[in-house]
Amino acid sequence: MAEMWINMGPQHPMTHGLWNLRIKVDGETIIDAEPEVGYLHRGIEKLCEGKTYTQIIPIADRLCYGASLSWSHLYCVAVEDLLGLEVLPRAEYIRVAALEMQRIASHLMWLAAYAADLGAMIGFIYSMRDREVFIDLLQALSGSRITYNFPRFGGVAHDIPPNFERDSLRACDYMEKRLKEYEDLYEGSKVFMLRNEGVGLLKKEDAMNLGVTGPSLRASGVRYDLRKDMPYSVYQELDFEPATHKDGDCYARFKVRMDEMYESCKIIRQAVTKMPKGKWRTLAPRNAPEGTGLGRVEDPRGEGVMYVVGDGTDRPYRLKIRSPIFVTVSAAPKMLIGYKIADVVAIMGGLDMCIGESDR
Amino acid sequence: MAERGKSTGRPEEGLERAPSRIGEDPEERVIRALLDGFPNTVTDFKKLRKGVLRAKIERRELYKACKLLKDSLGFEHLSMISAVEYDSRFELVYHIVSYQERLLLELVTTTPKDDPSVDSISSIWGGANWQERESYDLMGIKFNNHPKLERILLPKDYVYHPLRKDFKG
Amino acid sequence: MALRSKDFLKWCDEVLEGILRKSPVGSGIDYVTKDFFNWATRNSLYYLHFGIMCCALEMAVASAPRFDAQRMGVIARSTPRQVDILIVNGPVSKKLKPALRRLYDQMPEPKWVIAMGECAISGGPFYNSYSVVPGVDQFIPVDIYIPGCPARPEALIDAFIKLQKMIKDNKKGLLTGK
Repeated sequence: MAEMWINMGPQHPMTHGLWNLRIKVDGETIIDAEPEVGYLHRGIEKLCEGKTYTQIIPIADRLCYGASLSWSHLYCVAVEDLLGLEVLPRAEYIRVAALEMQRIASHLMWLAAYAADLGAMIGFIYSMRDREVFIDLLQALSGSRITYNFPRFGGVAHDIPPNFERDSLRACDYMEKRLKEYEDLYEGSKVFMLRNEGVGLLKKEDAMNLGVTGPSLRASGVRYDLRKDMPYSVYQELDFEPATHKDGDCYARFKVRMDEMYESCKIIRQAVTKMPKGKWRTLAPRNAPEGTGLGRVEDPRGEGVMYVVGDGTDRPYRLKIRSPIFVTVSAAPKMLIGYKIADVVAIMGGLDMCIGESDR
Repeated sequence: MAERGKSTGRPEEGLERAPSRIGEDPEERVIRALLDGFPNTVTDFKKLRKGVLRAKIERRELYKACKLLKDSLGFEHLSMISAVEYDSRFELVYHIVSYQERLLLELVTTTPKDDPSVDSISSIWGGANWQERESYDLMGIKFNNHPKLERILLPKDYVYHPLRKDFKG
Repeated sequence: MALRSKDFLKWCDEVLEGILRKSPVGSGIDYVTKDFFNWATRNSLYYLHFGIMCCALEMAVASAPRFDAQRMGVIARSTPRQVDILIVNGPVSKKLKPALRRLYDQMPEPKWVIAMGECAISGGPFYNSYSVVPGVDQFIPVDIYIPGCPARPEALIDAFIKLQKMIKDNKKGLLTGK
């Protein structure tokens, strides 16, 4: 038969971001796959060794631009662990509300790209329109549309603007109505369901062994969510359920993300109504002690980890970043072998790849 | 609201585990199993906070300790492999997670400056494959028995290891 | 003696080149159609579906319902053979440089380049990194620079309008290039 290697990327409408997928095909069926990353490598870890701790907060935003608030928050959590700093209670609630809005905006961006790739252009238009609702709220909070530079050590940069509570509750009501419409739209479309059900199976043991985390892991049946199982910030006081599914195919990953958006609406409602009064910003010491700090959060794409080594000065000695997408992409061959070329779009799209964090 | 699939999915079934004593903390069980299996080479246990443990290990015992952690102590997930360079040594920090006990173990090994090499654990956890390639690419640490130790983030013909302290951009 | 295909091709090149590009016939056709072709070009600029970093999100949002770049006639295409504009919207790393140069060479004339965001203009926050090229105009000629980090979608639409004005001011005939 005709076996050959095909290059999909670095410039390809399917690859949201710059990476290369080399697949070995026999006719139309894929028999081997080899992803290649590194086209967006900016040397952030080396760059951070020359900057002060506060100068790194906007750089941490630009690690993953799809969910940038969650990366600068992760960096602040890691450095607060190193400094031994307590975060102010009002700031914790503001952070949680903003993080969940960022999660919804990130999932809507994923849904827009996913629908556009599978041919449902209407999904792109609807999701982008609804994403603007949350981007407006985040812009009112921090001043910028995508890279916010919002968390600070021990607190946040600004207080909430007037009418924030009213607007957030309205946004959550609007979003829940729209989510119901999306379910009818996508699950009623025979073509969409045919392209997703049974495609890209990832079994539970493989998912755990290969280091896959986040919605892709929960779609394979493992009920592990860092916000519930090793909680950080004020998540143990909030009431929500991590979304899981047992099949492990593309439809399961789609369903898990849609369910996560419902849960995020619930969390936003609780966070803005239970917010205590008080200060939201504090002073942090300039020089960090010698030692290490570890931060682990549930990014919209998986488990993000940062390991900071301090050496007594005001610049970090070493900053190591674990990106969920870097590890999930290495698990891609497991999901691709045996399927056809046309399934590559659905499988890789369902993993929600944001290459900025993978290449650092 | 539509039906949402809920499954317990806890990865409990089918794992052979080391026996635990009555009333024992999961963290203490891990410490006891490691001290029993590696009496002189695992040292310096510290509990950083609830659910986070730290231990030091010698690099020749790393592969066996990781096998013990995965097979009988139920640590299913390798989270991160970091490489840190100090004046006289390289340090490799492994963060290993147990989903069911909700534990994180930080395992630290050191290698001398002139021979930065350690055994690869990518045959135990597949998720270590690309992380080890990245440590090789950026810091120059060699992993023995790695299936494909090549550069991953930098171009294939790049000569330097940029994260070393003597590399000035 | 028969006419070889090599000779035929040489005749085609010489005669057509002579008539269309160098003689008054070519300049005449250009004189008549220049305004019309220029109007068609500037009102249907297609850009390449190429996203590098954060400004790429704003580029995608520019085609979304709120900012709607399609009213300027601007649509994204997937292959470089069918586009007029290359929008570079992020830092260019040394591994990407040959691939980007190849993409630029594959675009047919007339073509323009927009450098969007600080990273494409000068390297941005990563200017002193070991693996980022400080500015895309080091190896590709750039026509429009959009400052901002990230550049807002309204700035991108303003850039399209400025590019349209630039094309209108430099009218060139398609055949003779004058």
